[in-house]
Amino acid sequence: MSTAFLPCGVYHENYPQDHAWWQTRFVRGKMTLLFLVLFVGFPLFAGPYSISVCNQIGYTILGALGVQLLIGYCGQITLGHAAFLAVGAYTSTLLVLEFPWPKFLTDWGLAYPISIIAAAVVAGLWSVLFGLPSAKVKGFYLILTTMAAQFITVDFILTQYVSQIGGRGQAFSLPPGTIKIGPWVIDNERKVYFMMLVLVVLCVIGLSNLLRSRVGRAWVAIRDNDISAEVMGINIVKYKLLAFFVAGFVGGIAGAFWISNLAAISPEHFPWFWSLWLVGVILIGGVGSMHGTIFGSMFMVVVMELLQIAVIPLADIYPKLLLDFLFIKEAAFGLAICAFLIFEPNGLAYRWWQIKNYFNLWPFSY
Amino acid sequence: MELFFMTLTTGIMVGGIYALVALGWVLIYKCSGVLNLAMGELTLIGAYVSLSFYSMGIPFLLSLLFSLIIGFILGVLTERIFLDRLIGEPILSVIMVTVGLSFFFKGIVELIWGTDTRVFTPPVFPLEPIHIGPLIIGQVYLWSFVAAIILLCLFMAFFQYTRWGLAMQATADDEMAALSLGVSARFVYATAWAIAFMAAGVGGTLLGNINGLNISVGYLGLLVLPAVVLGGLNSVPGAIMGGIIIGVLQNLAGAYLDRYFPGGVKEVAPFAFMAIFLLFKPYGLWGWERIERV
Repeated sequence: MSTAFLPCGVYHENYPQDHAWWQTRFVRGKMTLLFLVLFVGFPLFAGPYSISVCNQIGYTILGALGVQLLIGYCGQITLGHAAFLAVGAYTSTLLVLEFPWPKFLTDWGLAYPISIIAAAVVAGLWSVLFGLPSAKVKGFYLILTTMAAQFITVDFILTQYVSQIGGRGQAFSLPPGTIKIGPWVIDNERKVYFMMLVLVVLCVIGLSNLLRSRVGRAWVAIRDNDISAEVMGINIVKYKLLAFFVAGFVGGIAGAFWISNLAAISPEHFPWFWSLWLVGVILIGGVGSMHGTIFGSMFMVVVMELLQIAVIPLADIYPKLLLDFLFIKEAAFGLAICAFLIFEPNGLAYRWWQIKNYFNLWPFSY
Repeated sequence: MELFFMTLTTGIMVGGIYALVALGWVLIYKCSGVLNLAMGELTLIGAYVSLSFYSMGIPFLLSLLFSLIIGFILGVLTERIFLDRLIGEPILSVIMVTVGLSFFFKGIVELIWGTDTRVFTPPVFPLEPIHIGPLIIGQVYLWSFVAAIILLCLFMAFFQYTRWGLAMQATADDEMAALSLGVSARFVYATAWAIAFMAAGVGGTLLGNINGLNISVGYLGLLVLPAVVLGGLNSVPGAIMGGIIIGVLQNLAGAYLDRYFPGGVKEVAPFAFMAIFLLFKPYGLWGWERIERV
């Protein structure tokens, strides 16, 4: 999706202007206000519940960014992204808990930040491993290999082997105080929120910039037509594997971030359902759009929370309903995907684009 | 050696059930080009429906028949409501609609029947194993295999000798030519979904007889994916062979590899095998090779 039309009377005179992030004064003001609200206003006034909902949204955004990159920009359909989140989360946990850190690093609280980067790299490499078949197959067959990635990684390697390290059995518990960045111990929702915000902003900016570079354009060319992309001189295998690496990298960051919010980590946090959920998020938000990732995450998390709020009063009448909420959630998610694909195939981002254009072009909409 | 033959026979018999479900999958793909990821849930629905009828005291064959009828109706409805509107949409949309359907069905099944394991009581098949020479086979396996083979033959006969079956074959072969000869594509799509629902339902019922019925039977239904990839996506004999091979492979892996990789190797082996197989022979054993270099 291209950028929105400019308002009447605004012209660009050179290339940097044309490609600036925030092109008009209005947009600049709007975005500054948004950042102020996100960084100052919201955490100042919101209660712990809304902050935790925001953390979930942030986690979903971080996870869905990689899926968006692979599906929306490179055309490589993946249904196993939770595996890479899991790899990131486990790498980070293992490094924090088991690695013999030098004393000064733990004193300065650098263990966790370093482990995030390591987790991202490991998850990226793991993702490349399962992206290798993409050099040879595409479409449905690629879907199957990514599914295999999910089952092999989470249900087999993590459950059977990694979970046994240190004799802990099924779950790694993260004692309070282990997750520490510099002098700050990440121990409540508010601190997780700030960390989430920084990571989301960094990842979104980094990925958006990558997407308008040579690399990103190569990805889009591969998505649109891989044969003509090759004719234009793009090394398809290299760029596809790079896409898998970057997607796994962001996924690793997401996984490593999420352990700060958990008291214990086990393979059940990364089921196949979660992979499909992430794909559903970008479909509902809009494929091939950064806005879409964010809108989709917000929409799905908020709708599910609202559903939960709606179910609780009914639970007095039908107590079974509360137990069955998980199933209602699943069915609602499935129905939402179907409905969006049938009735709104361009996703929420397309509506947003239309609304922006309407106001930009008003009152002369032609 | 005895262990080998035991696992081999068990594998072939379970594979017969997979073949039945895989047949339904390939049918949908051949006729309408839809890659269906909801196959596991289709097996669940059929299995639970026949279990409910059976628990009401209706004889097994009759409840199987009822579940076939309900499967037929559900299949036609699903195609009409969801898939019919997506003809000509990109592959991702169609696949994700089937994923959405799988969640929807799974949620509904769990809402209605819960997540506890249920068994067919009283047992449909006698519990005593049969001795064939040195081999000992559970009667459940044997009869399930026989039932699966009978149904496979019935479906094959349907395709070969009836007017509807021939119409479906024609559509699968060349849709444009079939349309110009007066075959109704919408009718064929609906029939394909109905048959897939029916085949999956029978497969699920048989699988539920073996180990009891819970949500994980849906996972067994997902094993059709390695099966059809192995056989080639658009080949009916390939699907049947693929189903049997996957059944054998799964049981052999469970019997021999479990020592070295303790835990769930039986569940993962088909998928791992498929991922490696795809690297060498991406179009399966009998699939159409489209010459297309990436």
